[in-house]
Amino acid sequence: MLRYRYLFEQMVRRELRQKYRGSALGVLWYVINPLVLMAAYGLMFGVLLKAVSIDDYLLFLLVGLTVWVFFAGSLLTAAGSLLDQGSLVGKMRFPRETVPAATVTVQLVTFAVLLVFVAPIAVAVRGTLDPALLLLVPIVACLYVFVLGLAMVVAILHAYFRDVAPILNAALLPWFFLTPILFRLEDLPGLREHTWAETLLQWVNPVTPFVEAMRAVLYSGRAPELGVLLYVPVAAAVAFLLGRAIFRRMEGELAVVL
Amino acid sequence: MRDPERAGAEAGLAPGEILLDHASRAFDVRGDQGRTLKDVVLRREGQGPEPVQALDEVSLHVAPGETVGMVGRNGAGKTSTLRVLSGIVPLDSGRALCGGRVISLLELGAGFGRDFTGRENIELNGALHGLLKHEVAERADAIVAFSELGDFIDSPVKTYSSGMMVRLGFSIAAHLDADTLLIDEVLAVGDVGFRRKCLRRISERIASGATLVFVSHDTAAIERVCERVVVLDGGRVTFDGPTAEGLLFYHRVMGTEQGDGESVRPPATRTLAVPEVSLLDADGHARGVFRTGDPVRLAFHVVASEPVAEPRLGLEVRDEEGRVIFRTETGLELERGEARLALDIARLGLLGGDYDLVVTARDAARDQPGADRVMSFSVASEPGAEGVVDLRGTWSARTAARVAS
Repeated sequence: MLRYRYLFEQMVRRELRQKYRGSALGVLWYVINPLVLMAAYGLMFGVLLKAVSIDDYLLFLLVGLTVWVFFAGSLLTAAGSLLDQGSLVGKMRFPRETVPAATVTVQLVTFAVLLVFVAPIAVAVRGTLDPALLLLVPIVACLYVFVLGLAMVVAILHAYFRDVAPILNAALLPWFFLTPILFRLEDLPGLREHTWAETLLQWVNPVTPFVEAMRAVLYSGRAPELGVLLYVPVAAAVAFLLGRAIFRRMEGELAVVL
Repeated sequence: MRDPERAGAEAGLAPGEILLDHASRAFDVRGDQGRTLKDVVLRREGQGPEPVQALDEVSLHVAPGETVGMVGRNGAGKTSTLRVLSGIVPLDSGRALCGGRVISLLELGAGFGRDFTGRENIELNGALHGLLKHEVAERADAIVAFSELGDFIDSPVKTYSSGMMVRLGFSIAAHLDADTLLIDEVLAVGDVGFRRKCLRRISERIASGATLVFVSHDTAAIERVCERVVVLDGGRVTFDGPTAEGLLFYHRVMGTEQGDGESVRPPATRTLAVPEVSLLDADGHARGVFRTGDPVRLAFHVVASEPVAEPRLGLEVRDEEGRVIFRTETGLELERGEARLALDIARLGLLGGDYDLVVTARDAARDQPGADRVMSFSVASEPGAEGVVDLRGTWSARTAARVAS
């Protein structure tokens, strides 16, 4: 694995160059995207619908959206990544994991740039300069590893079955609304009658703990709850190991199916 | 057992050793299109065309340092063999093992970043071939120099012509120190001069002990670099032996294909062979490089395995592009089934360049396929004359008639 660190660096560099080629604003576009989403949702749910009463709602939204944009963007680009690199995979022998991993890492770069903007604003607006802020780094690292695992699964499945990307695309929108990004789980009145739904949204949806952990640190200025704090690294490890196992099991025929 | 390199290391193969053991691989023709879930759900047995057997029980052992040319018509399984050996495609059954580090060149420019400069692509490509950062850095200057791209090395690859891509791609591959080189047809493009240079570079790698498996339709190139030829047909090995005989067999097979009705004669039935050819200088030393005007002696050893009615020895000199620039033939007297003879050339009338000497022994009475032997030699270039043949004489001047004004 270490032997291919240099290859991985090179692949990421190539992806970055390809992604930002010919655009004057470059990485800024990827920062603007969640800001636009934040403004739209803020206007709809915070101002017009008055569905939520959360302090600094825009910032609340922005932290959740940042996580979601990284998560969804990574999976969508990873799904087509092996197909995009089909000729390379068919002509050269190198660890195939580096292809989806490079696309996720490029998403991580934009995610990091976004955090560089968001974190100081959050600290300034919410006064969240707390030792808990140090948890930001391990949480982001866990999120990265978690997404890496899922990305490997999505990428290899899509190489064999071309419906995977459309299915993923269709699933991501409802998934977004089932993730507490626009709201807090504890604010949902319906959940009191349906505790199974609360379990579902809180623990079965693996994105929820990551959103909550990020929000605890950045928006609330405190460490995440113990359950969330344990869930995040475990989810990352399980997703990564499982994803890698599935990838390795299926990668043999890649050069043939692409 | 998916990766031949790892399997080779586990089995304790020597660096550069290759082993294919009853290797078989079929390709589902429909598989190329990419399946959808619907296809999987609705798939029925026996639907669609039969899978194509790309490799059919292929067994092959290549010793370290051997140079193997692989020929056969399209779809014979040449590229599939290389893809299996390089670990890109797994086998259905059988084993594929490679010792040491294997570098495969299946397509030049595969994996180039189009927005990257030539220099950046050296790093990317080196990394894809499994090199570490410092390993690429050590080679970068030599690669740039070999490519002869000059200042273009710092321009994005998307501005390159295909010839420049070939230069860059091959220069990178030629500088990765592999124990085994697997090369597929990539030299078919590019200019002749650079192709020569590449072949020379490959020869150097082989001289330092590397194994080569070379797929090409360019039989002249195979003659030049390979000592052994494997002919594939329909995924099976139909010939495996010395290059001269192998190419002859291949040409016969291809000739039959075109319908001239000639039967394929296995090379084993041949009665004449030329086991030894040497180019000697005035002092009787074997040499590979001469100067224009040097005296040259060509010495031959011809052996007949059974009585031959009309033995003949033919000589052919070809230039860099494979054109025959000289051909001659002489009768032989075979005493006790063998003959040693020499041709003395008082003055070598060739100008600077690389040449091939093709030697053919045949039985004129039976029109039997002869044994071929190919030697390469070079003539050092000399100022004052260009071309192939030295026709320099003595200049003299006479007073020219004046043009009336």
